[in-house]
Amino acid sequence: MVAADATSLTQTAQRRGGDRRRLSQLLSVILIVVLAAAMLLSLGWGAADQTDVLAALVGEGSLRDQIIIWDIRMPRMLTAALVGASLAVSGAVMQGLFRNPLADPGLVGVSAGAGFGAVVAIVLGGFLPVTVAAAVGKYSVPFAAFIGGWITTLLLYAVATRGGRTSVATMLLAGIALGALIGAFMGLLVYYADDNQLRDLTFWSMGSVAGASWEKLSASAPLIILTLIAAPFLARALNALTLGEAAAHHLGIDVQKMKRIAIMTVAASIGASTAVTGGIGFVGIVVPHLLRLVQGPDHRGLLINGALLGAIILLLADAISRVVIAPAELPIGIVMAAIGGPFFLWILLKNRNLVEM
Amino acid sequence: MSLTATDIHVKLGRKEILHGIDFAARAGEVTAIVGPNGSGKTTLLRAITGELAYTGKVQINGQDCASMKPHELAMTRAVLPQAANLAFPFTVLEVVRLGLTAGLASSRPDTSDTLPLQALARVGLTGFEGRYFHDLSGGEKQRVQLARVLVQIWEPVLDGQPRWLFLDEPVSALDIGHQLVVMQLAQDYARAGGGVVAVMHDLNLTAMFADQITLIDAGSVRAHGTPQQVLTNDTLSAAYHCKLQVNTPPPMGGAWILPQAAHLN
Repeated sequence: MVAADATSLTQTAQRRGGDRRRLSQLLSVILIVVLAAAMLLSLGWGAADQTDVLAALVGEGSLRDQIIIWDIRMPRMLTAALVGASLAVSGAVMQGLFRNPLADPGLVGVSAGAGFGAVVAIVLGGFLPVTVAAAVGKYSVPFAAFIGGWITTLLLYAVATRGGRTSVATMLLAGIALGALIGAFMGLLVYYADDNQLRDLTFWSMGSVAGASWEKLSASAPLIILTLIAAPFLARALNALTLGEAAAHHLGIDVQKMKRIAIMTVAASIGASTAVTGGIGFVGIVVPHLLRLVQGPDHRGLLINGALLGAIILLLADAISRVVIAPAELPIGIVMAAIGGPFFLWILLKNRNLVEM
Repeated sequence: MSLTATDIHVKLGRKEILHGIDFAARAGEVTAIVGPNGSGKTTLLRAITGELAYTGKVQINGQDCASMKPHELAMTRAVLPQAANLAFPFTVLEVVRLGLTAGLASSRPDTSDTLPLQALARVGLTGFEGRYFHDLSGGEKQRVQLARVLVQIWEPVLDGQPRWLFLDEPVSALDIGHQLVVMQLAQDYARAGGGVVAVMHDLNLTAMFADQITLIDAGSVRAHGTPQQVLTNDTLSAAYHCKLQVNTPPPMGGAWILPQAAHLN
């Protein structure tokens, strides 16, 4: 009895210790996010060193510095952080849902579907009756992107998953087919687009935070924040789903309901981020993979830390995109592709058996 | 308290696999479902556990399963699958802890740390908790899954209601020693007041551990009763389409089924 008590005490202590360690990890990651954000604020053309940034932040300094910091760099920094978090979390949710570490919204056409929705809203938005256009206003592009991403995810799930099992080959091939189909429709829209719209279309295909503004951010941020808050509540169900749909059902998970929520979450978060930055690839696959190496595949950690690490990665990618060919800028999508492509190949080399599943 | 399935029909595609099966099991007993390959025994288990769509009625402890919520079902019964692969590199302990997802355990934090380790000890896997699940052999994976299922319904009787353990070929990947460990564990669960329903291939293990046997053949019940009633030369030979000799060797006292190869006749 005494021995049993001692054991349980030790275990309780270990659990407490684990909690404290997790908390300090979380705090240090948050600190890194803040530092990366601060670095980004003081980086770039125009203003100025850190003291100017600080001055502008507290409302001092020149008007020019204040405009640069508050109206250009701040929305851009927040956009990079939120979109990074959203891409990483939607990648992790999608991988849990498809029970497959290679599922990434960018790879399997969901981002393309969302981008297509956004482009439809841009090109055809002019045809909307004025009253409708005024009513939906700035939210029409994120909403259309959400619908596009949602339909693509549903299609993909219907094609690639049978009896609760997703074949990697079918999923990737279905992604290619959907991407080609979306490409065809995009081509049609490009054909009918005017010059202004053409510039917007090019922006979608590359992915960039350079056009970030408070207006765009305020249209997408509520949806992104909502999905970031919702995703951790899926963690237990996604963990159970690792055993397969039947086993998750036997563990008391309402599998159908949970799948619907997960698909909506992915679509909303991809739609909202695509609407503001266009398609940025590989965040959704790089971040969850790195985290699984460090903390294991438990989704409870994955979905919270994933948001933070996603924010860090995109903030850093944005910093790189501004200094590589300064004073000009690379679109951030190109930076992520240059980092993420080789990384993805490395995952493939390490896990060839995954593709044969 | 019991489990009853009445007039169960299951269709897969256009083909009807089960043609109106009646099945019953009592708490406190091990009930085995046996039958030749493709007879529908696993299909019957999947229908009873709600994995497959069926017509008919399944009741657990007098409650209609169709009207129970997933988490209520998860508190009442647990299901050991035939084989499972994980998509992500979970450790053994993390897999067993998934059994705590079913609800109750999260409201009793004092045992949620010790229960998974106790369950691993029951299936003979003490010391395996830190290993990766996908590095284990087939038989070890099967026992980890059994530990997870045990964690889910640890007490055989809860609030006066028996809980139900469904096992789909629980010993198919196991060596002869662990076959006995697992079957003994199932029998102990039943003796402690729980209900056990197991789909079995091995007729001799069935004869040793089952209290009741349902013999399924071509989607219908061919025989139901005690081992003495079901395990007879004529019944088995007809169901399995081969000559089988049922003996009762003195040291065991139970039935022992010997296949009779054609060249021995």
